[in-house]
Amino acid sequence: MSLDISFIGILIGSIMASSVPLILAASGELITERSGVLNLGVEGMMIIGAISGFALMVITDNLFIAIIGSMLSGVIISLIFGFLTQSLLTNHVATGLALTIFGIGLSAMLGKNFVGIPGKDFPILFSSLRESIPFFGPILFGHSIVLYFAFALPFLTNYFLKKTKLGLVVRAVGDSPVSASNQGINVILVRYCCILYGGAMCGLAGAYLSLIYTPQWIENMTAGRGWIALALVVFATWSPIKVLIGALIFGGITILQLHMQAIGFRIPVQFLSALPYLMTIIVLVVISRDSRKIKLNTPTSLGRIFYKEK
Amino acid sequence: MATDLRISNISKIYPGCIANDNVSLQFKSGKIYALLGENGAGKSTLVKILSGVISPDNGEVFLNEKNLKLSSPLDAKKNKIGMVFQHFNLFETLSVFENLSIDANEDNKSLRVRINEIFKKYNFSIDLDVPVLNLSAGQKQKVEIIRCLLRSPKVLIMDEPTSVLTEQETEELFISLKKFCDEGILIIYITHKLKEVLSLCDEVAVMRKGKVVSVSQTQNERVETLANKMVGQKLAKIKKKINISKNKDEIFKVKHLNFYSDDPFETNLVNLNFSVKKGECLGIAGISGNGQNELFQILSGEIITPNTSIIFRNKEIAKLNPKQRREYLMAFSPEDRISQAAVPELKIYENVALNNFKSSNFFEKGLVNERKIKDHSKKILSDFSVNTDNVELKSQFLSGGNLQKLILGRELITAPELLICYNPTWGLDVGAINYIHETLIKINDQEKSTILISTDTEELLKLSDRIAVIYKGKLSKIMPSEEVTPEKLGVLMGGGSID
Repeated sequence: MSLDISFIGILIGSIMASSVPLILAASGELITERSGVLNLGVEGMMIIGAISGFALMVITDNLFIAIIGSMLSGVIISLIFGFLTQSLLTNHVATGLALTIFGIGLSAMLGKNFVGIPGKDFPILFSSLRESIPFFGPILFGHSIVLYFAFALPFLTNYFLKKTKLGLVVRAVGDSPVSASNQGINVILVRYCCILYGGAMCGLAGAYLSLIYTPQWIENMTAGRGWIALALVVFATWSPIKVLIGALIFGGITILQLHMQAIGFRIPVQFLSALPYLMTIIVLVVISRDSRKIKLNTPTSLGRIFYKEK
Repeated sequence: MATDLRISNISKIYPGCIANDNVSLQFKSGKIYALLGENGAGKSTLVKILSGVISPDNGEVFLNEKNLKLSSPLDAKKNKIGMVFQHFNLFETLSVFENLSIDANEDNKSLRVRINEIFKKYNFSIDLDVPVLNLSAGQKQKVEIIRCLLRSPKVLIMDEPTSVLTEQETEELFISLKKFCDEGILIIYITHKLKEVLSLCDEVAVMRKGKVVSVSQTQNERVETLANKMVGQKLAKIKKKINISKNKDEIFKVKHLNFYSDDPFETNLVNLNFSVKKGECLGIAGISGNGQNELFQILSGEIITPNTSIIFRNKEIAKLNPKQRREYLMAFSPEDRISQAAVPELKIYENVALNNFKSSNFFEKGLVNERKIKDHSKKILSDFSVNTDNVELKSQFLSGGNLQKLILGRELITAPELLICYNPTWGLDVGAINYIHETLIKINDQEKSTILISTDTEELLKLSDRIAVIYKGKLSKIMPSEEVTPEKLGVLMGGGSID
């Protein structure tokens, strides 16, 4: 195998593609957590997004409806979580876990009739440029619109949180819901919105898997990516840009170690498979060592139940 | 324009407790009103109703004869009622400016201009771009006040504002409040500190058990009359006999106590040397943040410092952890009752069991001996007149005073030789303070020793046999308390020197 420059370009392109679901899900979860809600149901919401996106594509033959539908299904399933934790004041952790188990089970049931059906080609943008420019072509061009959106998302999220009034409100609610409520902010409403937004992004992340990355339905096809996304948010200390870096490292090492396995390096396969997890954690811990910054970025009220005094 | 605020027949009932019982009061601008009462008298409930945080079961609020519907904090804001809460309502991880801009309706630029105008007018200065968690309590309170001022309030309610302030900060606050009052803002000042009422306020309403029991001009009142109204009974005056114990044994001796920390929020301690005699109370005065926290943690064994020698009952204990020190009959009462002394989510008897000794047999073969712990807890509750006999009650439902009694009881029931306490009466009302002071004096009468680290000079002068002042991590010379005056302490606490 030759390590020529165009191969590296293609490699980077595929690394980017593999990190998209992580970026989407983690960015969504980041907003949810910044409002003080810990939703461990990411995996469940992703897999529901994956099956509903794929099923809608098969039924309507329309990819646009499939994508929008997957996001809506993410919203609906996160609404269950929102209702339980915000209106019925259930424990965030237990409810989130239940949501994941529920999502995996429900998706398997819904997906029974869709196993083995081939997917559809998802339109890619600038495909001519991809071939004509060496190295940069495969990196910058020839991707789906979802990928471009995913790579813009961390920056948009960062801008939203740091520069906009609404972002300030979200951070305030995550910092101290009691203070926010006493200032007249509708804490429950803000948290509902953040939960639903997180659900939409997880749904989209799932649809990316079943419609674009590996266009087909396989039971349990998210394969733990939801959990990785959750871990990314925490290890990236709730910073959107670091989430992006973490997702790329994870995607990168996943792809690289596959190549290493294929080449036949004399390293145990199990170690290579564990490498992405290990490296992502190490790198994120190293780049987020500043304890002062961690304190400022961590939503103080994360996972705590809030109820309004009457 | 003059402001007239009238509260009419307000009632609020919680399960098992009438927080406000038919409360009616009237306030007019140009005066500072005190709302005085013990913890749990219903003051905070009343101001929460005024600020729209909770709604009353009954009754009405009138502002300039307009009936106000206060069903959310937004309603209070719209009607220009500003509120500074006792537990700050700030967002710790957001910057000062973000905290102020969150409910402003203008763009950031003009908001900054307005904030700077307020800074100039009242002589405030706070860095707008640092996170609030880096501010001192006094600065945080200023941020809260500025947040109210930005909405040009007609009414400003301060809920126990000085409980977290140093004396210097308290003075500054009073100057500002008087200025606000002169500008026509109606000020309602909630407190249980009698002296503040007399020095700051024009009129005082006293609340007891949810009812208003008296409204009067402060010029007609004295500390004693207010105290009696507040507690509802005559308070015994307590005074300590100074122990003239020159020849008694030294039971506790600290040598070369040094502490160095990289954390900018901690204070370094420089070469502290002191000793405590049997039956003596050593007072350590100082404005908070001058090393008291660190000193307490080192004395209790939470922090172990190298090269320090601590001799207790002729044994070197500098390397022992808190549990081992307790086995040697030391006892501790930290400043923060909720997070350091007790676990609020645990039941009373579980909190008692936390302080377990080999001798107390709370645990047998790894199992909890619940009956024994409960009996022991009941004894503490009755011996230390804690206002409940239900050992199953979660500790968080105890008022500050009762929790402190429980903690002292837990520490004292093992008859320790030395009790180290840090601000034992912080935030408590007069009745509870009296009880705690009596208890501390009783300990000394029984020939047991105490170290009292406190920011309350009056308390120190009342209880200590000898007093030293801690300033920026250094200890002044130790003086017999009959030679100490509040003025002398004040000078030393501010970093000055006497003689």
